[in-house]
Amino acid sequence: MLTIKNLKKIYPKSDRVAVDDISFELRPGEIFGFLGQNGAGKSTTIKCLTGILPFDEGTIEICGYDIVKEPIKAKMNMGYVPDNHSVYEKLTGREYVNYVADLYKVPSDLRVERLLRFSKLFRLEYAIDKQIKSYSHGMKQKICIIAALIHEPKLWVLDEPMMGLDPQSTAEIIAHMREHCAKGNTVFFSSHNLDLVKKLCHRVAIVNDGKLIDLFDLAGNEENKANLEERFFRITGTYEERLFEDYVAQESADMRPDLPVRRENAEEGDSESNAEAEFAENAEENIDEVSQSPAAEKSEEPENSATEVTENSADGKPVGKKGKRGGRR
Amino acid sequence: MKGEFSMQSVRTLFKLDLLSRFGSTHKRGVKYRIMQYSNYLFFAAIYALLVYGIYYITRMFVEDGGLRIEYLTIAAFITLVIATAVSTGTVIKNLYQNGDNEMLLRFPVSGKEILFAKTCYCYLHNLIVCVLLMLPFYISFGVVTSAHVGDYFAYIGVTLLSTLLPFFIANIIAVPVMKLMNAVKNKFLLVLILTIAVICGIFVFYLTSLTTFLNYMRREGESLISSGTIYHFKQFANAAYPFRFYAELINGRLYGGLSAGQLALRFLYLVLINGALGVIAFFVTTREYYKTILYGIETEKASFHKVVKDVQRPAAWALFKREFYLILRSFNYSFQYFAMACAAPVMVFFCNRLAVSMGKESLGAEIVPGLTLMVIIIFVTIVVSFASTSISREGNCFYHTKIIPVNYTVQTLVKFALYGSVATISVILSCLVSGIYYTTDAGGHVLSATDVVAIFFISEILVVSLTALYMLLDIKSPTFNVGGDGELVSANKNVALAMIVGFAVAVLYGVFAMVFSFIPLSIGEWTITSVGGDMGNIYLILALVSFVLLGASLSALFVNLNKKYEKILP
Repeated sequence: MLTIKNLKKIYPKSDRVAVDDISFELRPGEIFGFLGQNGAGKSTTIKCLTGILPFDEGTIEICGYDIVKEPIKAKMNMGYVPDNHSVYEKLTGREYVNYVADLYKVPSDLRVERLLRFSKLFRLEYAIDKQIKSYSHGMKQKICIIAALIHEPKLWVLDEPMMGLDPQSTAEIIAHMREHCAKGNTVFFSSHNLDLVKKLCHRVAIVNDGKLIDLFDLAGNEENKANLEERFFRITGTYEERLFEDYVAQESADMRPDLPVRRENAEEGDSESNAEAEFAENAEENIDEVSQSPAAEKSEEPENSATEVTENSADGKPVGKKGKRGGRR
Repeated sequence: MKGEFSMQSVRTLFKLDLLSRFGSTHKRGVKYRIMQYSNYLFFAAIYALLVYGIYYITRMFVEDGGLRIEYLTIAAFITLVIATAVSTGTVIKNLYQNGDNEMLLRFPVSGKEILFAKTCYCYLHNLIVCVLLMLPFYISFGVVTSAHVGDYFAYIGVTLLSTLLPFFIANIIAVPVMKLMNAVKNKFLLVLILTIAVICGIFVFYLTSLTTFLNYMRREGESLISSGTIYHFKQFANAAYPFRFYAELINGRLYGGLSAGQLALRFLYLVLINGALGVIAFFVTTREYYKTILYGIETEKASFHKVVKDVQRPAAWALFKREFYLILRSFNYSFQYFAMACAAPVMVFFCNRLAVSMGKESLGAEIVPGLTLMVIIIFVTIVVSFASTSISREGNCFYHTKIIPVNYTVQTLVKFALYGSVATISVILSCLVSGIYYTTDAGGHVLSATDVVAIFFISEILVVSLTALYMLLDIKSPTFNVGGDGELVSANKNVALAMIVGFAVAVLYGVFAMVFSFIPLSIGEWTITSVGGDMGNIYLILALVSFVLLGASLSALFVNLNKKYEKILP
């Protein structure tokens, strides 16, 4: 589906190698996570494979078409959702999607059906005929996603797709990613959300300083799943013991010596702490459910709340885990 | 309006405003400084020219017409109207439309403090505009009438007093103007039509005034102002209050036949009028300002609702339509492109009429085709200069160009077709207007049908050539990092370069056609042009040069286009 061989990219007027000899292959029907710190080379790799940036060495093939030699055929098989979700804001949502559909030669009947389905799925029906400039951050992201999917691409590339999305939409995108893969297509996305990657991806690659450091299976490999965070932090050189400690306990003991009561309360079964812990545990379970369910229905509302708990955790700390630990106290 | 009022906050906000406008401490290179000083010099030269023109007008009225008080009344009227228009624009832009309102409201300052701080800037701006506008009229008047030194101090005093009236009126009318602007928000076609009408109106007024002025300069020795005109001026001056009060204060006691008491009474009237307007402005603004900026922030993202059919169209048509809508739905773009293209025929006609009347009398009717060609090419340049932002305008969306399954040649051709077709329609209309008028008795038969057809073909080749050249400029060096549509046009070096190139081509073509229409040109034994001969050979030479330019610009744009696009990094 996507083959990258020895990709190398150096930006003009820069000594730093942005992407250095990266090679990997994506199989049909898989969701592939692309991880790395800010500036590690994720977006540059994505921009190279989508044809936005030229590269210095290596080859990129999409569905067997070389992006340099046969760019039109390669692009025809790909849908791309950028990280900054820039769209033509003076067009209406429908005008924009139709514009993209025309470029990808999507027949009228198919685009009508898909546009209706996606706008319902992402709850954008009421805004689809309004100018995009009136859309919120998340709505712009959604219209980018709809436009990227309107031609049902074999390879769906997303650059940090969940940023700024509401929990409902996050759950719907997750569900749709799975649906898309179930049809034999491939999803390739970059993310900073390790929990999401853990739940969603079949395989994952970690890049650091432009180099591909690690690539491993997640689906069916519980050990890899369990070690993902530690592995990521060690590769990126940001591993610190305290990140993996019971920091709720640490907070009470070290950082807030003035609050010893809290721990006692928790041990005694304080109702508020218990409720919080219960909610967090439910949240984690719900993420599992979302990742297994093909489509998010209205009845699955709690799943979305759960996703938000994970998405919105401050400082990249996995709140779900925190909650769980809190619950085990 | 709610909230506390502290002068300390007002001072801080005012300082912040000035710093954000002029406080850049970033060190600029020599090239930038040279450009900056060149701009100052250019502005000074234009202003000197304007002052010189005002001096002539003063002499025309005061010396030739003996219209002292009438001249001063008309000068006060014109300058105050212009100052009011400029001040209204400044007030609307700074008080109501400035994007910093949302940011300032987050700080612990009240709406009244923001209003007061911004008003200080608006008044300073208004003061500078008024002084630059009014003093040349009054000082010219002093020079022509050999006024005493003390009179000049009176002129400065009256000028300072005059700064209040436009400022207060601007503050009063800014509120309904803002409400009107909110009402026509997103009515793009209506705004476009109104813009075209306003542009044409201002241009026609300007050229008609210029024609009158140039006629006077030509017949300087003669008594230009007829007794009928003098009567009308006197009638206007007698009725034009409060402008006559300013004029009487300037004219003074010694010359105007007014007693000191009468002058004091005029001064009191002006103070009362300004005071009343000031009070109205204060209440209107303080009542409406906070509400209006809040409404502006709330409706900033207001958009229209439009249902389109989900029908499949060819990719090229989709690209064409998208480009068209992006231009139409931006005030700045549609102003620069559609409005100028639509207004060009009117402008060409009036420019031509002025140029023809001046040129014909000084050099002869032979120069008219060359003049017409030059004027049309100048407007072609203004219209197609828009192509020099074809890539920059994509901004953050430029990545679309790279990811869509449409090759760069098709994408470029679509833009090329849109820019070229609008400019072509403009050229056709311009040639038709000139052709219909100047090939008739009314136009004096200064153009033949052959002239019109030749001018059209040469202009059309230049439309294509310049469009290609300007697109190439932007492909080679786009500017993505700009703050909005307006800045994209005003701060883009490609637009300036495109204008310079276009004007140079217009002057070269125009001068060549004009000079060799009455100077014989021969190469060896081959006589290319002869005095009084037809223009055929001149057109042929210009057409050949245009074809060479066409070939060069098209090949420069389309050869290795992919490589040029590859080099553009979003």
